[in-house]
Amino acid sequence: MSRMELYSPEGLRIDGRRWNELRRFESRINTHPNSCDGSSYVEQGNTKVICMVQGPMEPSSRSQADSAGATIEVNLSVASFSTFERKKRSKSEKRMVEMKATLERTFQQSVMCHLYPRTLISIDIHVLAQDGGLLASMANAVTLALIDAGVAMYDYVSCISVGLHDQTPLLDLNGLEEQDISTLTIGVIGKTEKLALLMLEDKMPLDHLESTLGIAIAATHRIRDLMDDEVRKHGNLRSSKLAKN
Amino acid sequence: MSRSVDVSTNERAYFIEGLKAGIRLNGRRFDEIRYPHNIHLSKEEYGYVELEWGKNKISVRVSSYIRKPFEDRPFEGIFNINCEINSMASAKFENGKNSDEEVLISRIIEKSIRRSNSLDLESLCIIAGEKVWNITVDLNFLNYDGNFIDIGCFGVMLALQHFKKPDISIINGGEDIIVHDINEREPQPLSILHVPVCLTYCFYNITNQQEVNIKGESTSDDIYLLDCDYKEDLLKSGSIIITLNKNREIIQLSKNGGIPIDASLLVDLALGSIKVVDELTDLMKKLIKDHEQQRFDELNLKLLQVGADR
Amino acid sequence: MEVAEVISITKPSSSRPFEDVDDDNDSDVEMNNTTNQSIVTPGELITDDPIWMKGHGTYFINDKTYSSVAGTVSRVNRLLSVIPIRGRYQPETGDHIVGRITEVGNKRWKVDIGAKQDAVLMLGSVNLPGGILRRKSETDELQMRNFLKEGDLLNAEVQTIFNNGIASLHTRSLKYGKLRNGIFLKVPSSLIIKSKNHAFDLTGNISCVLGVNGYIWLYKTNVNNPTSNNNNNNSNNSNNPSITRLEEESSWEIYSDKNDTTITNSIRSNITRYYNIIKALSYCELGITEQRISMGYEASLAYVNLGSLNDKDAMETICQDIINNEKMRGIN
Repeated sequence: MSRMELYSPEGLRIDGRRWNELRRFESRINTHPNSCDGSSYVEQGNTKVICMVQGPMEPSSRSQADSAGATIEVNLSVASFSTFERKKRSKSEKRMVEMKATLERTFQQSVMCHLYPRTLISIDIHVLAQDGGLLASMANAVTLALIDAGVAMYDYVSCISVGLHDQTPLLDLNGLEEQDISTLTIGVIGKTEKLALLMLEDKMPLDHLESTLGIAIAATHRIRDLMDDEVRKHGNLRSSKLAKN
Repeated sequence: MSRSVDVSTNERAYFIEGLKAGIRLNGRRFDEIRYPHNIHLSKEEYGYVELEWGKNKISVRVSSYIRKPFEDRPFEGIFNINCEINSMASAKFENGKNSDEEVLISRIIEKSIRRSNSLDLESLCIIAGEKVWNITVDLNFLNYDGNFIDIGCFGVMLALQHFKKPDISIINGGEDIIVHDINEREPQPLSILHVPVCLTYCFYNITNQQEVNIKGESTSDDIYLLDCDYKEDLLKSGSIIITLNKNREIIQLSKNGGIPIDASLLVDLALGSIKVVDELTDLMKKLIKDHEQQRFDELNLKLLQVGADR
Repeated sequence: MEVAEVISITKPSSSRPFEDVDDDNDSDVEMNNTTNQSIVTPGELITDDPIWMKGHGTYFINDKTYSSVAGTVSRVNRLLSVIPIRGRYQPETGDHIVGRITEVGNKRWKVDIGAKQDAVLMLGSVNLPGGILRRKSETDELQMRNFLKEGDLLNAEVQTIFNNGIASLHTRSLKYGKLRNGIFLKVPSSLIIKSKNHAFDLTGNISCVLGVNGYIWLYKTNVNNPTSNNNNNNSNNSNNPSITRLEEESSWEIYSDKNDTTITNSIRSNITRYYNIIKALSYCELGITEQRISMGYEASLAYVNLGSLNDKDAMETICQDIINNEKMRGIN
């Protein structure tokens, strides 16, 4: 990889953002009101993800019925046109399996599964375009879709990716930055500092961990607010409609 | 589902009570690891290691051959890690079918070692675009007693440091190569840039109240154990895998579900792990050094040394 | 851990939450109304007053009660619960529902009713050929599949809810039983407004079962047995089911799989018209009632081509007509 200037001395990144600046975060919930129980669409910069939730519902196979709580199943599909170079990705790719397992296990914990024994919550994620921060966008989309589906959760799980360039943490990396520097993805429960999801794929000096986590947590809180705005906006609209009947 | 044995509710309660009193059922301290023992570094061939760690047992073999590099990376050798987990290790793992857990184990070992460039791939290049070394590590798990990731990582790193590839010379102005027999010329060790060490911490929510864990302010109630054995692993309510090296770099962090942990606790754990990482790295270094010395003495290599008395 | 400042740039509109209210609905959303019944979202602190009992949609730590879903807070006496805006159908005793058999088991059928778990229909809670008072024998058990088999649709009433949340159904009335001569339609269950009567006849020789669970069945009106038995303008209101008639009717006929041979094209197109009207109501997220369906029918007569009812514009126009109509009658 050629050495691009990821962070100019003036404090600007390749796409013109500051170090602590998020990309445009846009979300919508209830995008597919008739085909599933809950749905959402999340755009973080150029990463675009659709998520649909079915359930809680009767599991199709007996092995998925757990009398202690709901089983959460995630199906990932990454469109072959989602990257610059068209490429077919198989579901059995290790990276995909890992992300799927990570999401399943994360939400198994933050959804109040014990309320829905013997049921299945099936989550379908479609990645339409990827430009860095894929896992984070997927987790955000799942959170919104689960809320839309009326599934009980302890709190929002909001996710962000953060990288470290030299000594400066860079928030919400785009695809180009992600190729060059190490990326830490964290998912935080609500407005706490509890990490529900954590993934670092490349080297990072131990002594910078704390400052990097600090900015990342602040960013997840911001993401949570943005998601909350959308949920409220939609919810108020909807409850005003229902009240008329 | 796996066919592993479930732990009864009573056993779980007993275990949790123990933790509350600060006692692990296996008598270790919370942050104490089991150290590897019965380490067998093969004398006959380079890069074969067998070791035990608690009741875990693994064998690692490193092999090499020469091939054409990938077209997009003509200057880099090729390095693969194959993880083989089958029901020989534990009934928990099924033959032939890769469960999510197995994929996670191999993926994290791969991330820790391969993706972190622990092995200098450029040093494996012989003739750019034509011939490079292909190094393959086969990791076989022979018995399971919890915590495959840490052991696997340790085993692979030990084997890589033990391995030596045959010496080669390039002739005809870079067109042909001669691979020297290992008896003819002393083989070359791999160039290892850094030694990653994986440490797995398991978390236990002893209040048994999910709400408190997620929303509560204090985290002092959470107990974390380093290097869990089989039973502790079954009872865990969450885990985190930290990979570090001696240079105080985090190679990899991953937390796959389980109860949420506090960010400050994570930082504390990472900082606290450095001590163990140092110990394990030094242990590896010592093992290799002793082994070299032994081989040196046994084969009377002293006679071959340049400048030896004749 | 120090928390740093984060910059984020959002669309300016997001600060004005009600800017893009759909125009298909009338635009006078009462702002003051929405503020006092504003919704709560997961993780939000509802109250830290310990006197409240914690109901559905909440969880608590010590005295603090938090919401676990996005919805409206409901306070009934001391019970505090959050009703989710969307969610799967939650069965309640007495609900008239439409369901689909998914499994034939030991003395029971499993019925998909769109809830979290399939409901059960016990062999003991259906009418069998030969009358209501007949005991269920082993022979009946063996030929359960001849009565209802996988994929059959039926309408039924929720008898009880077991404590594990599974609903138990019964079809012990002539109103209930296997469904024939029509088509099935599914809408979100939150759109169905509970009323006294969920089965009714509509103009054009069509009847409708508006399941509380959002499953709807539209079919040709059965001449011998009109569904609505309290409809005064119905000509033959002497058809109220009585025990004696029940016995007559409880022949094999009620479990027949054959559609009537006399379904004319006009009935078929009427069914489709109603189908599209209900779709339109669901598209515009209007509550679905008998009256609205009838009004929608009148509004839809402007469209001769049934297929054109599927257009977005057509659906919105119909819903707007319904709303205007309601205003004229002073309902709202």
